[in-house]
Amino acid sequence: MTTPLFQRLARWLVVAILFAAGSAGADNNPNKTIRLATTTSTDNAGLLAELLPPFTASTGYPVHVIAVGTGKALRMGRDGDVDLVLVHARAAEDKFVAQGYGEKRYGVMYNDFVLVGPESDPAAIAAAKDATTALKKLADHQAIFVSRGDDSGTHKKELSLWKRAAIEPNGDGYREAGQGMGKVLQIASELDAYTLTDRGTWLAYQGKSPLKIAFQGDPLLFNPYGIIAVNPKRYPDINHRGADALIKWMISPDGQQRIGDFRIGDNQLFTPAADAGEFAAFSHGQ
Amino acid sequence: MSDPVILALSALNKRFGKREVLRDIAFELRPGECTLLSGGNGAGKTTLLRILSGLERPDRGRIDTGKGPLSWRRSKAALQKRVLYLHQQPYMFDGSVRYNLGYALPGGVPKPLRNALIDTAIDWAELGPLDETPAKSLSGGERQRVSLARARLRNPQILLLDEPTANLDQAARRRTLDLLKCFKQEGVSLLLASHDPMHFSSLIDRHLHLYDGRLAALEDQKLMQIPPLHTLASLRSTA
Amino acid sequence: METLTLTTLAALNLLFSGNAELWEIIAISFRVSGVAILVATPPALLAAFFLTYQRFPGRRLLISINSTFLSVPAVVVGLTFFILLSRQGPLGEWKLLFTQTAMVLGQIALAFPILVAMGHSALQAADRRAWETARTLGANPLRALFTIMREARFGLMAALLAAFGRIIAEVGASMMLGGNILHYTRNIPTAIALESSKGEFAQGIALGLVLLTLAFTLNALLQHIQGKGQPVT
Repeated sequence: MTTPLFQRLARWLVVAILFAAGSAGADNNPNKTIRLATTTSTDNAGLLAELLPPFTASTGYPVHVIAVGTGKALRMGRDGDVDLVLVHARAAEDKFVAQGYGEKRYGVMYNDFVLVGPESDPAAIAAAKDATTALKKLADHQAIFVSRGDDSGTHKKELSLWKRAAIEPNGDGYREAGQGMGKVLQIASELDAYTLTDRGTWLAYQGKSPLKIAFQGDPLLFNPYGIIAVNPKRYPDINHRGADALIKWMISPDGQQRIGDFRIGDNQLFTPAADAGEFAAFSHGQ
Repeated sequence: MSDPVILALSALNKRFGKREVLRDIAFELRPGECTLLSGGNGAGKTTLLRILSGLERPDRGRIDTGKGPLSWRRSKAALQKRVLYLHQQPYMFDGSVRYNLGYALPGGVPKPLRNALIDTAIDWAELGPLDETPAKSLSGGERQRVSLARARLRNPQILLLDEPTANLDQAARRRTLDLLKCFKQEGVSLLLASHDPMHFSSLIDRHLHLYDGRLAALEDQKLMQIPPLHTLASLRSTA
Repeated sequence: METLTLTTLAALNLLFSGNAELWEIIAISFRVSGVAILVATPPALLAAFFLTYQRFPGRRLLISINSTFLSVPAVVVGLTFFILLSRQGPLGEWKLLFTQTAMVLGQIALAFPILVAMGHSALQAADRRAWETARTLGANPLRALFTIMREARFGLMAALLAAFGRIIAEVGASMMLGGNILHYTRNIPTAIALESSKGEFAQGIALGLVLLTLAFTLNALLQHIQGKGQPVT
């Protein structure tokens, strides 16, 4: 895959740039910096801004957060472009580990998804007994539904729900946005449409939207987050120590406490869900 | 003549596409000598001057600057050392007259000497009051004088002039001729291209005529006064 | 209408209250794009010079290729470099993805064709006699090169400003190559994209105002320069 001549030429260029950039690289020690690919839901809600500074203060590892959809985050992990991933798409996470890209999945926390829609609730999904019934009602009414359509964890969750309800989501009202959660909530607000969102983003966004929660509470809508270090056997030079330190901190009692304490307004967004046994094993293993 | 030859051309050829502009050109230049190169419009005068100044590459031929046969690269360097080419309309750099004159001096000249040299050149070409004037705003005659003063600072062995008095009025032409005489007296070899040789009769020692890409020496001064030149040119264009 | 007024007021408040995060984003933008222009300019002007003053086979083809690159969208440049710099790519071992250096690389690729194209036309518009006069007056090729650059400086400055204006405002390549990392690779355009997706319009507008002011300044400068570049006679 490597082309030596091309590399040599390009190396010149990079040396020139690094030289010119001077301080650009200096304040970010590449040996210490941890790269975390995560979903827009954790980042946009402000959780990481709350969690990471104390982590950096106690361990000395600066963390670079790259917020993308779950699909892209896992892809970055697979390609070794990041050191660890914090995502929410259980099936894809397990596959990521099974294929040897990730080391081990640790549960961190969960939040839940809610269906939001216009206040008038034209499809009357508030009365639905479970999530699949709610989706069926949406399909029957041909209500406008904005889908993330970006292979994110939320999108995957949405597709699995349609599948469970035995509906092909391709009706007149179904719109695929291909954008992040915030953008999709904006679109849904403008179109007076329904959409599936994680509660965190919704809480951060609800003040700016005329939409209301139309359906919530079904255990099917629970949304567990996992954190996975990229396998150092595949990429020996990634910051695996840093990744382990961050995982350990996230599932430690201290980290879990902070996750549970995180509030938007009066609302708790995430429920800590790390396995105490896993933490003990982790500490022991080190 | 006992004077040493400083530049010798032989068998010089140049074509642009299918048109043969110069064929088997051969002549020599000596110090302190003024050569007139005449010929109608498009006879190849400018091309010949540009080749001699190293700006244009000949297709074939020898240019001897006293160092034996050289590759074009090296004879180009040798030419650029000795030869200075003045465009028909001199180019003025964006800056004062003083800046333009200073350009001809090598970078290593210390500042006091530099200023003194420029002052001499300014006096020589009677540019005194124009010292700090933007050169681009000068008249045609003034530009011609700046370009000659610039040439003098450069101190070339050979000066190539392309229609130096075209577009100049009577007074400006006189002043240009006076300055050229100075060069000649100092031993610079002058090669003047003009389709109108009458103006330079007081200056020139010999007369070469370009016609249809070939060079003819008109040794007889009288020939100069025969005005066949534009006639020849028109004959050529109808041929 | 009222919300627009209110958010704009909030934006101005953010800007002038010295919001550190906002000004850090602005500083990153200027640093990355400034370095990109500094690195791209010398080779681009040299290329423009060769295209103007040298006759070689393939010259016209090169000019056409360069013009084609002018219209390549920033995201395509971003994607190309993403693939090159990714750990799976040929340059993966340098670990440049999601760094300012990667952003600089992407922006160089965007600025280069603009600099070449506009530099080429600026040098072409300059008088050929400038080069010949410099050479015949004894300037070596390097000094003659600087001389014609000086003669064409207004046109070349216009090229620089136009290239800078493009790269500081582009979002596609910066987003892909920098990753929009706070305090590190979040610049004005990626921050606007993020803030507006979060519905935080005030910060988006504040940064938009910075870009608008910059665009206005660059254009005013360009006008001024072009006015100066007019020949005197």
